Amino acid sequence: MTITTERRRKEFESEALVHLDALYGLALRLSGGDEPRAEDLVQETFLKAYQAWDRFTVGTNCRAWLMTILRNTFINQFRQQQSRPAAVEFEALAERPSSTALYEADPEGRIFDRIIDDQVIRAIDELPEEFRVTVVLSDLEGLSYQEVSDLMGVPVGTVKSRLFRARKRLQEKLYEFAVEMGYLR
Amino acid sequence: MSDNRQQPGQGHSERRELTCEEALARVYEYLDGELGAGEHEAVRRHLEKCRNCYPHFDFERMFLDYVHELGAVEESKPGLEGRVRELLAAETG
Repeated sequence: MTITTERRRKEFESEALVHLDALYGLALRLSGGDEPRAEDLVQETFLKAYQAWDRFTVGTNCRAWLMTILRNTFINQFRQQQSRPAAVEFEALAERPSSTALYEADPEGRIFDRIIDDQVIRAIDELPEEFRVTVVLSDLEGLSYQEVSDLMGVPVGTVKSRLFRARKRLQEKLYEFAVEMGYLR
Repeated sequence: MSDNRQQPGQGHSERRELTCEEALARVYEYLDGELGAGEHEAVRRHLEKCRNCYPHFDFERMFLDYVHELGAVEESKPGLEGRVRELLAAETG
């Protein structure tokens, strides 16, 4: 090992490894709480980033760069799996009525200050995969409909309908949690 | 052509007002910043006047803000940093 490669590795570690927990958080959300899958995703991301480190400009947003690599790595795997039919999951969520129960019970949104984040994170994890990935990319990561559409290889209209259904499902879950916790009657 | 019907927000000479149903159907696209300029403006005008829709939009905005903040939740995995360091060391050779 030369001094240069050793210095390169140390530089990479000091710049990139501080973002490990953020990357693992995103990996867990994308993989629906599947820890081994999330861990593999993080390791693959760091390996790819390290191999591409010469192309990264130090001083620019390293976290965003790593997140993009992780997203793309996940999506490549996801799209390969998508050759398997998942119509059952789609129908299961599609046929549910869109509930406005939460808004009607709590129009001022007090629930958002009181709910336990872990409960909602679990509800996101439990969404059928196409819906979960859409929500994570759009709502957690802030990508546009077009960006999500390009990544997932589905029309923008599909992104919109998945977001609508997933958000309504999450609101139904929030309503259930709020009733269980005694915040709402 | 005597057909004066226009899509909401597309009118220039005639600016038809949106119904509540039409505004609410656009709630997420509006809040996501995904509507075209004309439609966005049509929804905004509706919200300025509509006491029924404004709170509903406000609620949906709070919901989306809440979910967005969950994207910043970090998670730690004991031992993962060590395994990544080993991977990098092996890659360095």
